[in-house]
Amino acid sequence: MDVFLQLIITGIMVGSIYALVALGWTLIYKSSGVLNLAMGELTLTGAYVSLTFYEWGIPFPLALLLTLVIGLILGLIVERVFLRPLIGESVLTVIMVTVGLSFFMRGLLGFIFGTDTMVFSPPVFPSEPVRFGNIVLGQVYIWSFIAALVLLVVFVAFFKYTRWGLAMQATADDEMAALSIGISAKFVYALAWAIAFMAAGVGGALLGNINGVNVSVGYLGLLVLPAVVMGGLNSVPGAIVGGLIVGLLQNLAGGYLENLTLAGVTLIPGGAKDVFPYVVMTIALLVKPYGLFGWARIERV
Amino acid sequence: MSAMRLPSGVYHETYAQDHAWWQTRFVWVRMITLFVLLFVIVPQFAGGYGLSVANRIGYTILGALGVQLLIGFAGQVTLGHMAFVAIGSYTSALFTLRINEAFPVLGQMGVTYPLSMIVAMFAAGLWCVLFGLPSARVKGFYLIMTTMAAQFITVDFVITHYISQIGGREISFSLPPGTIKFGPWAIRTDLEAYYLMLILVIACIIFIGNLMRTRIGRAWIAIRDNDIAADVLGVNVVRYKLLAFFVAGALAGIAGSYWNSTLFAVSPEHFSFSESLWLVGVVLIGGIGSNYGTIFGAMYLTLIAELIQPVLQFILPDLALKTAYIRDMVFGLSIIVFLLLEPKGLAYRWQRIKDYIHLWPFSY
Repeated sequence: MDVFLQLIITGIMVGSIYALVALGWTLIYKSSGVLNLAMGELTLTGAYVSLTFYEWGIPFPLALLLTLVIGLILGLIVERVFLRPLIGESVLTVIMVTVGLSFFMRGLLGFIFGTDTMVFSPPVFPSEPVRFGNIVLGQVYIWSFIAALVLLVVFVAFFKYTRWGLAMQATADDEMAALSIGISAKFVYALAWAIAFMAAGVGGALLGNINGVNVSVGYLGLLVLPAVVMGGLNSVPGAIVGGLIVGLLQNLAGGYLENLTLAGVTLIPGGAKDVFPYVVMTIALLVKPYGLFGWARIERV
Repeated sequence: MSAMRLPSGVYHETYAQDHAWWQTRFVWVRMITLFVLLFVIVPQFAGGYGLSVANRIGYTILGALGVQLLIGFAGQVTLGHMAFVAIGSYTSALFTLRINEAFPVLGQMGVTYPLSMIVAMFAAGLWCVLFGLPSARVKGFYLIMTTMAAQFITVDFVITHYISQIGGREISFSLPPGTIKFGPWAIRTDLEAYYLMLILVIACIIFIGNLMRTRIGRAWIAIRDNDIAADVLGVNVVRYKLLAFFVAGALAGIAGSYWNSTLFAVSPEHFSFSESLWLVGVVLIGGIGSNYGTIFGAMYLTLIAELIQPVLQFILPDLALKTAYIRDMVFGLSIIVFLLLEPKGLAYRWQRIKDYIHLWPFSY
């Protein structure tokens, strides 16, 4: 039981980081209909940028803030150069441009930083764990959870209550109507990409604190895809719930399924942790093709 | 074969002429020259390195044909095609090794490898259908996600953690030289693999080209252009979609079992997610919906990837160590630039050049 609780809590805490990244993904999709496969590389970029700032001796909270600023700038540039010419192109074209972007960014990051795992040194968070009863938690997880939660609240509040956030919602709902009441679609797209870069950047910085920074942070960032698919592509609460689900699935699979033996036969030797979210997603798609909170789309000839 | 544009002054009088693969004398001369070039001249003058590059191009064409079929002809998507290539490769390797062990006679006769190719086709095809099943209910992005799931589930999980453990050889299956025998010919060198590659590529392209002219191909194109309309016209959409996945998987199986003949050992890292995306890049850069596109795309990307190293060595020797990253960057930029500036791909350029020559000097 303790193990179970431990896994659940760790899962939720890691899941909150995924939820943050997934939120950025959903914002792009909602406002501009772009399905972004470069999310993993955006996460990786954030991890490396914050690490670089931290190594320059800037305190971590400030480094995180600077990561947000860099994310904003990069988001605006990427949207303007690569994505805007593609408005109205087919799904596959847009997706493949983001794939091209992901290759380019991964190559560039590898070119600059190399492949060795880099860690935040000295460690940002104290390494001795915190105990709640029988449950042991690393402080990294707790602080990441808090940071992710704060940013989630900020982004959701921004989306719900500010003028720009409302403009984004309007564009997501009906682009034509939004244009006709004077909302600039270009501005909204740029904003969505900027926010996605910012969210992914912070997510990357937090994940980098947990595992160290190397290419695998990018693969973790890719886990937002099952998250958003399970949550429903165009739903903000869906993205958050989906992120949490992926975190949970990952930890539970890692805890229970790996090295599972039945009557002396090893059923699952290992690697279940990374694959399980995809397995569940594939099955979930067969049952509920539009996710938990997504809108069913009716198609006509 | 899409609508062929004929040079002015050429008229067809029979259906046979209309259906012919090579319609004019000029095309006959060109194609025969091409075959002579490929079968006789290239092996004479290309060294070992040139042949290995040619083999890689052929392998890419074989793998990308399936992607082209799904994306370009049937309107489905696959971002995890290397999973099926991997299934083909592993099935073929395991089958060859096991059967050779159990019945050494068959191995000596050289029956096992061709047989394993057929087994691999079916295995990869069925595995592909399994992941194509969601296409009955979902399309677009959701389908992309299931094919991505295919990649991770197959390569990173099933193959790495289960299949690689068979026989306790850790991560890879070694293929001792002489295992791969095609009838009396053992395939040991790049040259022998090159001939096998040529035959397979030509056979597969003829197969696909002809398939697209049958009822099946027309059904796929109808589904690609508008699946609801195709349904209304009486095309069994689900069945044809799954058939497309099967054929694409079978082609991947051929690609995988062919690649065994150039390898000394099979291991999971030959079939990574990046390689899958690479195949999609081949199709997009070459041109969607055209077999020429597959060939041009494969040649372009493979040659670019191979040329980066020597060019860097020549210009900036300091950077030569970072070739892998630069290759990623070039690949990413190529895809972006092509999609932004030439979305119809290299095949469209080729068509334009041909049109220009046909209509010269009165191009209006």
